[in-house]
Amino acid sequence: MAERVRFEDVNVGDEIPRLVKEAVTEVQLVKYAGASGDFNPLHTVDATARLAGFDGVIAHGMLVMGFVAQALTAWLPNRCLKKLKARFTAVTKPGDVITVTGRITAKKPEENLIVGEIQAADQRGEVKIKGSFEAVLPGRKEG
Amino acid sequence: MDDLKQREGQELPAYSFVVERGKIKEFVQAVGDPNPVYVDREYAAREGYADVIAPPTFGICIDLWGGADFLKLCETFGLNPFKVLHGEQEYEYYGEIHPGDEITARPRLARVLSKEGKSGGIRMITLETTYFNQRGEKVLLARCLIVERR
Repeated sequence: MAERVRFEDVNVGDEIPRLVKEAVTEVQLVKYAGASGDFNPLHTVDATARLAGFDGVIAHGMLVMGFVAQALTAWLPNRCLKKLKARFTAVTKPGDVITVTGRITAKKPEENLIVGEIQAADQRGEVKIKGSFEAVLPGRKEG
Repeated sequence: MDDLKQREGQELPAYSFVVERGKIKEFVQAVGDPNPVYVDREYAAREGYADVIAPPTFGICIDLWGGADFLKLCETFGLNPFKVLHGEQEYEYYGEIHPGDEITARPRLARVLSKEGKSGGIRMITLETTYFNQRGEKVLLARCLIVERR
């Protein structure tokens, strides 16, 4: 695992390491349906998705939020993460290649707290999730 | 006034879920997250955790496998499931969730907002769920915004 990120080493405007996912697949949606328990057929059955006005199945929003969480916890230990918020702005389809990017927007030294914005977008730049997070980082003298 | 608006603040039935090691593994594999902290006990121990941990979006699994069925929810609230979108999801983290933990989720209908727009009305419903482990410790809080086009 990477070097521990310390509060002092993070500055407002810094980007968090970007995560580029492999293309979303239909099988992945089936796996996520089973894993999460979200069996809404919109995510697994093309015919249902077409009835709802899409050209085929669409990904679970929570799967894409999982990608966002993956990017953050690849960078920070899980215990540092205090808040994660996602607004679902567009649907994701099989074949979409999601990239997660984010940056630090504020620091609160009294609590070693950092605040950031984070987003997930596809290969065309369409934003699927606009989000934010808060994390408490260890200081240089601790742990 | 909207029937649902009158129920604002109401507690909904609690549900519980025992976290299984295999469920965590299945979940992170579906997401495609290779972080060993979810599957490798020794790695998790070196990171200072008592055991492997559940990932940040695992709350959805507790909800859907623990009893908060989407269609039942729509029925409870009188929502048309075909007109409902998941607008936002927010988590606050208070403690780790490990395999073997029995998590009790206490949902509440936190907010109901109606808006009229050009293409018809929408209703925004916020469910706020607090999750406790078997020791009664609060480990997670979730806010789920459901948007219904009317």
